[in-house]
Amino acid sequence: MPAHNPSSDPLAGRSAWPAVVAAAIAPAVASGLVWWAALTVPPTARVAVAVSGGLVVAALVAAIAVAGWQRAAAHRHRARADALAAESADLADRLIPGLVRRLRAGSAPDTALAEVDRPTNPDHERVLRTLAEEVGRGERSRAAAMAACGNAAGRMQALATSMLADLREMEDRHGEDVLGDLLKLDHSTAQAGRLADSIAVLTGSRSGRRWTKPIVMESVLRGAIGRISAYQRVRTHSTSTAAIVGYAAEGVMHALAELIDNACGFSPPSEQVHVYVEEVQAGVVVTVEDGGLVMSDLALRRAELIVSGESLDLTGLSGTRLGLAVVGRLARKHGLTISFRPSSRGGTGVVVMIPRTLVTEPRAGGGRRRSAAPPAAPPALPEPTPVAQPEPEALPEEVLLPRRRRGDTLGSMFPPPRRAVEFSGPRTDAGSRFSAFRNAGRPTRDARPEGHPPEQHGPDAHPAEPEPQPEPRPAAEPGETHHRPS
Amino acid sequence: MKPRLDDEDPDRLYTITGGRSRVGGGSLDLVTLIVSESEPTAGMQSEHARILRTCRRPTAVVELSADLGLPVSVVRILLCDLLDAGVVTARHPRPTHSPDALPSPELLKRVLLGLRKL
Repeated sequence: MPAHNPSSDPLAGRSAWPAVVAAAIAPAVASGLVWWAALTVPPTARVAVAVSGGLVVAALVAAIAVAGWQRAAAHRHRARADALAAESADLADRLIPGLVRRLRAGSAPDTALAEVDRPTNPDHERVLRTLAEEVGRGERSRAAAMAACGNAAGRMQALATSMLADLREMEDRHGEDVLGDLLKLDHSTAQAGRLADSIAVLTGSRSGRRWTKPIVMESVLRGAIGRISAYQRVRTHSTSTAAIVGYAAEGVMHALAELIDNACGFSPPSEQVHVYVEEVQAGVVVTVEDGGLVMSDLALRRAELIVSGESLDLTGLSGTRLGLAVVGRLARKHGLTISFRPSSRGGTGVVVMIPRTLVTEPRAGGGRRRSAAPPAAPPALPEPTPVAQPEPEALPEEVLLPRRRRGDTLGSMFPPPRRAVEFSGPRTDAGSRFSAFRNAGRPTRDARPEGHPPEQHGPDAHPAEPEPQPEPRPAAEPGETHHRPS
Repeated sequence: MKPRLDDEDPDRLYTITGGRSRVGGGSLDLVTLIVSESEPTAGMQSEHARILRTCRRPTAVVELSADLGLPVSVVRILLCDLLDAGVVTARHPRPTHSPDALPSPELLKRVLLGLRKL
């Protein structure tokens, strides 16, 4: 029967009209034929013909009805299949990526599910829920592992820092007999500290210690070299007198340490690694050259990609090589530019560009040397460096107007009065510090303009009692006067 | 007394001495006077340069140690480098006449006791 074919053929589903027409015409034509046959045959066979013809027509009508029903069912199924396909595509293209993005951003699975559209298909919803829970669990465990690592690294950093300080003190105290052993311990501790720093950098927690003063380039280099195992193979060539600002010094040192360690690791132990420092218009350029293996173009490009710090993803991290990833993070944080090139010494050269914003002048007098300088150096003696000139007259300096150097914060303009207080006066007990908090709540004695740091008129406003001010006070005091005007 | 964290420098002593912890000669004691014979040159290690500047007037090893804030043994290593390079000279203090010329410890102790009794 031709009427059956269109409904069973899936390709003909779009044009329903011929099938409907055929389904309507075929019984009519068949019944006409039966009627005509019944009239034309002899009367004896007329009943039999009419009955069989009727049966045939009935069968035809039933067949057409079944075909029509089948066709409708096929239509429904196709529509459903199309809808399902569209939903699956939507699930794959829109819902799942959106969900995963929200989960990666730290949303809880339920929150993320509520934020994306609900799929109409319950199965899809189940898929989405399972996915959300699994990805959410993965994210949570990743965050927990990162936090644990970061925390442990932070504690190790603190331990290493205090051990280094203790060792330094012991080195001062003990004589030559133990000095060698102490230096060995010092070296191991510094390397352990670097490892802790690396983990801290990779887990995104704060890096190492902060230096509160600019660190001269020589110390930055030696600080970097002191953290690697083969430090005796490193030769520095620097005439630079520039310094790196305190907040970035640790990062620069760490990045240089990783790069120099790489250079030492990939060159034969007999070769020296040379570090050159050059001051240029845009900042300071540090070049690390080794005489080891020449990196292929591909390896150079790959290394540059890693240190460019474009991606903060840890998926590309291999278990044993953390160095370049750490350098990449640090470079991104501090704006260092790092490039690799074949070295003229036969190995690989790394050029680190420290931007001008991180470069400053060294502070007059330096650290531990400052305390011993006045008695040791007679006034007639020329000062070691021109910048150290005002060092002996530290006290008159505090009545001068504060001068801010480029790259320094506003707060760093005022250390001289504070330092003078600590040196001259007897050690203040904790009670006076608490009284600062108590005084912060009272109306101020002098009309102090809001937003002005109180240290500015500290020396002349209270000449009799130069009480040391704890850190929270400058921030707390203007706020308090705002609440309770005098 | 523990040094304040602010006063610390990032460079460790072994980077200053290049990993050495003792020197072969051992001819320098605490009161040996050091005199610089030339001016510091560019690119010199900062401790060396500082020693050269300080020692324009004769300075004792122990004074240098206090000035640099470094242990005496480390200063001795640095000074040996400078001596080898010939940019400083060492003047050994004149030895005391003889150990017998000094009052004996027993006598000093008795004097101390007497002073305490006053």
